[in-house]
Amino acid sequence: MSPVPPVKPEENEFRPHVYDGIREYDKRLPNWWLYTLYITIVFWVGYWGYYEWFRAGPTGAQDVAAEMARIESARLSTAPLDDPSLWKMSRNSEFVAAGKAVYEAACAACHLASLRGKAESTVAIGPDLTDTTWVHGGRPTEVHALINKGVLAKGMPTWGPVLGARKIGEVTAYIMSKHREGEPVVIAPPASP
Amino acid sequence: MPASKLTLEFNDQVVRQFVLASLVWGVVGMLVGVLVASQLNFWQLNLGTSWLTFGRLRPLHTNAVIFAFVGNMMFAGVYYSTQRLVKARLASDFLSALHFWGWQTIIVAAAVTLPLGLTRGKEYAELIWPINIAVALVWVVFAVNFFWTLARRREPSLYVAIWFYIATIVTVTMLYVVNHLSLPTSLTHSYPVFGGVQDALVQWWYGHNAVAFFLTTPILGIMYYFLPKAAERPVYSYRLSVVHFWSLVFVYIWAGPHHLLNTALPDWLQTLGMTFSLMLWAPSWGGMLNGLLTLRGAWDRLRTDPVLKFMAAAVTFYGMATFEGPLLSIKSVNALGHYTDWIIGHVHGGALGWNGFMAAGMIYWLLPRLWNRPLHSVALANLHFWIGTVGILLYMAAMWTSGITQGLMLGATAENGTVLAYPNFLDTLNTIRPLMLMRVIGGALYLVGFVLLCYNAWRTVAGAEAVNGTVEVPAEEEAPEPRLGLLATFLNPPVMFSLLGTGFACAWMFAAEGLSILGLVGTLLCAVLGYAHWESRGKAWAGWYDRLLVNTAPFTILTFIAVAAGGLIQIVPLVISHRAANVEDRKQVPYTPLELAGRDIYVREGCYTCHSQMIRTLVPDVLRYGDYSRLGESIYDHPFQWGSRRTGPDLARVGGKYPNVWHLRHMEDPRAISVGSNMPSYAWLLRDDTDVTALPTKLSVQRALGVPYPDWTPEQIRSRVDTQAKVIAADLKAAGAYVAPEREIIALIAYLQVLGRSEVVAATKAETRASQ
Repeated sequence: MSPVPPVKPEENEFRPHVYDGIREYDKRLPNWWLYTLYITIVFWVGYWGYYEWFRAGPTGAQDVAAEMARIESARLSTAPLDDPSLWKMSRNSEFVAAGKAVYEAACAACHLASLRGKAESTVAIGPDLTDTTWVHGGRPTEVHALINKGVLAKGMPTWGPVLGARKIGEVTAYIMSKHREGEPVVIAPPASP
Repeated sequence: MPASKLTLEFNDQVVRQFVLASLVWGVVGMLVGVLVASQLNFWQLNLGTSWLTFGRLRPLHTNAVIFAFVGNMMFAGVYYSTQRLVKARLASDFLSALHFWGWQTIIVAAAVTLPLGLTRGKEYAELIWPINIAVALVWVVFAVNFFWTLARRREPSLYVAIWFYIATIVTVTMLYVVNHLSLPTSLTHSYPVFGGVQDALVQWWYGHNAVAFFLTTPILGIMYYFLPKAAERPVYSYRLSVVHFWSLVFVYIWAGPHHLLNTALPDWLQTLGMTFSLMLWAPSWGGMLNGLLTLRGAWDRLRTDPVLKFMAAAVTFYGMATFEGPLLSIKSVNALGHYTDWIIGHVHGGALGWNGFMAAGMIYWLLPRLWNRPLHSVALANLHFWIGTVGILLYMAAMWTSGITQGLMLGATAENGTVLAYPNFLDTLNTIRPLMLMRVIGGALYLVGFVLLCYNAWRTVAGAEAVNGTVEVPAEEEAPEPRLGLLATFLNPPVMFSLLGTGFACAWMFAAEGLSILGLVGTLLCAVLGYAHWESRGKAWAGWYDRLLVNTAPFTILTFIAVAAGGLIQIVPLVISHRAANVEDRKQVPYTPLELAGRDIYVREGCYTCHSQMIRTLVPDVLRYGDYSRLGESIYDHPFQWGSRRTGPDLARVGGKYPNVWHLRHMEDPRAISVGSNMPSYAWLLRDDTDVTALPTKLSVQRALGVPYPDWTPEQIRSRVDTQAKVIAADLKAAGAYVAPEREIIALIAYLQVLGRSEVVAATKAETRASQ
């Protein structure tokens, strides 16, 4: 990358004007300089196109919101499991997204992808998780404990050893994300056999 | 006709005056610089008096160096070179004298008012409104004197240095007027007409381009005259001059928003700021190349000639600074460097290296010619060069290290990225203290070098006989230059392709769907056709440009269009959009009268020189200071106080964070609360009374500016002030501190405690597109 392009003979000629004794060559522009200019112009077109025209990239606000959600979820994953922290998890996009994935893999077979279980389809095995009538208690810690231990008599497996603590927390957050925080629940009497 | 000759004597008297003034103010400005830098290390140097605190002296330093030192040097260079380049004496001796004495009066007025705390609270635009008017008038005197001289020129064609001078005069006028629009509340106080994000955008459009058109373009013009004269070599490339001049003046204006990256400024403006800053790299380096390559064949003389030494180093520093600028404008780099010493290092690379060394080179070249006596000591000039260079390098190395260190520390996290590694801001400040001290040493060395220049100048000039340059010109007036009419000015390939291309590009960026695609196609077509036309008819382009160069008015008009475009496209959409409807999801609650009085104290003390009020959309900022700042949270702030450097922490959400008594103790003695703080003590705020009598006028001005205040009577205002002040005083009393409610500290606490208060409103479109 030589800063000085090869000199053609005519480039050693002066411009006709002389200003207070100052003469001017009219040498051609160095190529590397021109390409620097062109590349930055192309970058402008590409960058504007990506972020402003197609809106393919996140805005600064979206960026920081996603990052803060990640940080919040990292904080919550080490927080003690109690009702407030589980409610917080249910409002955290990272947790809910992870819980959704766990739910779809492990729970949707019985409770259906809509979480509505028997309320949606008579052939579904599990009960509705979106209503406010809960058989085994509706506080987040109760839901968490239920998933952990299962209710073998009713066909709910013991998920604790299978999913592990983190995933159960996530799937609890996903279920609770379908409810308003502190939503009143009714404990339904056990169905008579 | 006999070819009789006439000897023309130049007005070099005013050049000599400006040179000497530049030397004097240079020492003053740099001395204040060394003092304020030392204050950051040793808070005791604030000397316990209000008018020598950092917050008031830092504006004095920047204004003195920019407008007094470089300003005077620039006027000297412009007047000396222009007379010779156009073969005409300055048009009016009266205007020249008025220009000189007017400018010095303004500088003295600035040096008195700034330490008194009379300020507009905007960087490099601090001077109060009566001085603003004086600056505008003197600038008009300069413009009239300059263009009148051009009108009387005996050299028909304008040399490249003159192009840069024209761009300087036109653009500084535009920038200065718009950014200083204010409504006065008294003889010494005013509120800027723009508020919040609008004020931020206008301020940095001005601030960035003050660097461009006050510290760069005139000095490039000076380089184009003095460097080939000193090197006795031809300028390297005329066509490089043409290309880099027009691309520089056009692109520079757009880059202002790079001072506001990752802030609440709408994203489209941030994108423009960043991409245009990158496009500015090559045009800037065009100037450096033409300077350095002009020295080809004269490099051996660098060893012996201090003038060439200074100029070659200056141009090199210019190249470094204009590479660093685009680098810092990349959003992710800016996230690290902004608000830190890196920026301070960057501007001093330009100020000390480029401006200071060009000034030195020019003055060493001028002294023997203006006073007809050889320079007193070349050895001293060489010593100046080496001391100055070491000073700059120490300064810049210290600031780079300091900025990057503090930036990394502020952004460092622990525990899986969930908490800050250095939650105490003072830890980061105290880590860089040795580097801040190194900066003082570097700056002091530079000042020593400059004093050597002054001594050398004094020994050269004292007792010497002032001489004025002369030139022989034909006695007969030459035939008037061929006029380039309005049609020929615009209806020609280069201008048409540029105008159409820019228009189409704007349509692509801002227009709705269909028109936008048309804009993209049009832009590409203009580029391709323009290139093809230039390849085949390049001679016609060059011929038209030769004709343009003998026509001052068309040249000036085209320059103005080139520099006005960027500002129009960025500022107008943001100003005409109704600001209350463009707030994101938060809207500021107007200040109570007492809080407004407190805010004016905050502005008066120059708190913004160390504290920002802008939490950026960056995780470290949010972790440290709270939720990121929204557009709507400062809409009623005249002036905005987003700040540019965090010597202390951000204050955007400091309201309610600490009890009232914390603020009282902290302002009285910062170290009693924050161990290791370098903040000055503000004891006088506990002694002086708040100026309540000014509030009725201030509130009515704020109402005129669109802040929704009810039409309170002066009695109502006073009773509101009293009520709120008494509540705060009672709270302080309950905490064991006794302060009368009339004291300024009460108003300041009232202000600090509402920072971050806003009402949540329905989210509106965050972005204002030009098309809407």
